Amino acid sequence: MANEGMPLVMASPGKLLTVIGINAGWGLQRRLTDMGLTPGIQIRVMSGQRAGSVLIDLRGSRLGLGRGVAQKILVKES
Amino acid sequence: MAKREIVIALAGNPNSGKTTVFNNLTGAKQHVGNWPGVTVEKKEGNCSFRGYSIKVVDLPGVYSLTAYSPDEVVARNFIIDEKPDMVVDIVDASNLERNLYLAVQIMEMGVPLIIALNMMDAAESRRYKIDIEAISKEMGVSVIPMVANRNKGTDELLEEIVKVAEGRTEASGVRIEYGREVENEISRLEEAISESPLASRYSPKWLAVKLLEGDEEVIKKFEEVRSG
Amino acid sequence: MANADVLKIREESLAHLKSIYGDEAETVIADARYGFISGLLKDALKKPPIERVDLSDKIDKFVINRWLGIPLFLALMYGMFQFVFTLSAPLMDWFDQFFGWIGGYAAGVSPEWLGSLLADGIIGGLGSVLTFIPPIFLLFIAIAILEDCGYMSRAAFVMDRLMHKVGLHGRSFIPMILGFGCNIPGIMACRTIENPRDRLTTILINPFMSCGARLPIFVLLAGAFFTANQGLVVFSMYIIGIIVAIIMALIFRKSILKGPSGHFVMELPPYRMPTITGVLVHMWERGQLFLKKAGTIIFGAVVVIWFLSSMPWGVEYASADSWIGHIGGFIAPIFAPAGFGQWQAGVSLIFGFLAKEVVVGTMGAIFAVEEGILGGAIASQLGWTPLVAFAFMVFCLLYMPCVAAIGAIRGETRSWKWAGFAALYTTVVAWIVATLIFQVGSLFV
Repeated sequence: MANEGMPLVMASPGKLLTVIGINAGWGLQRRLTDMGLTPGIQIRVMSGQRAGSVLIDLRGSRLGLGRGVAQKILVKES
Repeated sequence: MAKREIVIALAGNPNSGKTTVFNNLTGAKQHVGNWPGVTVEKKEGNCSFRGYSIKVVDLPGVYSLTAYSPDEVVARNFIIDEKPDMVVDIVDASNLERNLYLAVQIMEMGVPLIIALNMMDAAESRRYKIDIEAISKEMGVSVIPMVANRNKGTDELLEEIVKVAEGRTEASGVRIEYGREVENEISRLEEAISESPLASRYSPKWLAVKLLEGDEEVIKKFEEVRSG
Repeated sequence: MANADVLKIREESLAHLKSIYGDEAETVIADARYGFISGLLKDALKKPPIERVDLSDKIDKFVINRWLGIPLFLALMYGMFQFVFTLSAPLMDWFDQFFGWIGGYAAGVSPEWLGSLLADGIIGGLGSVLTFIPPIFLLFIAIAILEDCGYMSRAAFVMDRLMHKVGLHGRSFIPMILGFGCNIPGIMACRTIENPRDRLTTILINPFMSCGARLPIFVLLAGAFFTANQGLVVFSMYIIGIIVAIIMALIFRKSILKGPSGHFVMELPPYRMPTITGVLVHMWERGQLFLKKAGTIIFGAVVVIWFLSSMPWGVEYASADSWIGHIGGFIAPIFAPAGFGQWQAGVSLIFGFLAKEVVVGTMGAIFAVEEGILGGAIASQLGWTPLVAFAFMVFCLLYMPCVAAIGAIRGETRSWKWAGFAALYTTVVAWIVATLIFQVGSLFV
């Protein structure tokens, strides 16, 4: 079950995803928490960039994440 | 006859319409400067209402009050050091979940709070149905609906500000329960903190929560007192 | 003593909670807060079963599109600059004529030294600064519109990867665009960049963004020496500035500012229609920085320049025998390898340090001619070739930011060290590039 997840950077647009973990240092982790990105929350990828950046729908708002960040967020399909 | 003064701080997420509310309240009468020692801008303005002179301090837009960036430190420090009469939190109604995260943290600081529920038109166009009474009751503070970019709700907000200043309404909010284990640790820390000189300046409970959160600024304060 | 206990108890509490929850205490606390909010909103907030696709999302399908995103950004930037330059040209002419006219009146004031101070010094110097109000304010209006409608956060998102490759951050590009109007608001806009290395890098390379003040230098010299291709030559200055900025950013990030870059996490708010008041307020917030700092510092600079040009008493204004002429002659040899080792060039560049816009006015004062024929005067009296003029333009483009900009760097970095470094390294880079251009160019031309 621990291997269910994939990095957000690999998820395809449109699907409803659940965040299962964040592999980041405390600075980034806190920043994401402040923006509402916490384990267990449901998100949806709105658009993926060629370079790996991702735009997600999170709690009703739109959040742009750089590739480095998207690589550290683990998700699974809901 | 001298006007009595009320000092309020405006807080809120970036993009919540805080600047518009500030402009609606203060009109052209505002001054921009720098917070001492920091490069973040300080905006202050004034308005008069019902015989009061209200000083409005526009805090930097922040998502939270943990000491992550200069903006957050400035906002936080203004509330705990300058002790304004109340904080008005501008909440984007179309984005309630994230915006309320900040409101909850402000509540914990023990300062009177009014929630200005802005961008009601955006929430409506998304066909959200918001029960304002329920939010107000659950959070223990007044909630004033607004559409700031059409200057709607400004008078109601001013009325509420005066009400709170005169003590005619409940504005202290509710306390969140963090679970028994965490609450136990908070109490332990609180006890130890109440013997510290810091307890006379800041609420011990708030300090305890901040310590558990790993707040660098608060930890630094304790380290400074420890080293004398 | 009590405080030592507090910090120790904290450690113990954290360990205890970690063992129970398997998570850091701050995560547990954050979860509890969001849990409270969810519980509260379960009753108080009802969302429709299917979220409507917003107009904003529809627009974003194009704007953030993998393939259209960057081309659209470039097109918008091009459109913005076209808007600024086309509208400002006639306005600047009007300002120019106006200052020329009152300068004429002021020159007649007696006593003569006062007339000179007013006409040559204040009106001549300040006038050339204030002529910049149209392009700078128009640029700020354009940026305010793009910011207020919500596009700028999309642009930062789309450009982040590219910025990252050159050692910058997605948020770096707004300060850089602002720098094309005036470097002072550009440098101050770096406040939004959280990571200190990203922020400092962006501040240090901002002066390479060719500000509005340098334009008359390029227009004058390109017009005189490259008449057929003047537009292209002026455009090349902007490109050279950008290229040098990128190279320096890479160098900094691999040497003195080595370290991890900031993460990109940015909210993209819904698009909305900018309001006229909002745009004007934002334009004024930045424009007034230019007016205040440039106005006060440059005013002082202009008076100092006038004084140095008028001493010793009775000397011909800004001639080789005046104090400023002596200073210029003293430093002139440094520029010989770059082709412009004449005292007149030296003097103009000194004035340029105080305020780049004054370079042209100074040349005009030295050669005592109208700007219209100034180019010809420089060509004949100094013997400059187009290559020398080009090297000189590049030097003006790259060297030391004006005093007001250095002040802004000091303000944002809270350190004279970085301000001094910025002044020094830009001048060294300018000298190297200008000399290279002249030396290498001389082999071919």
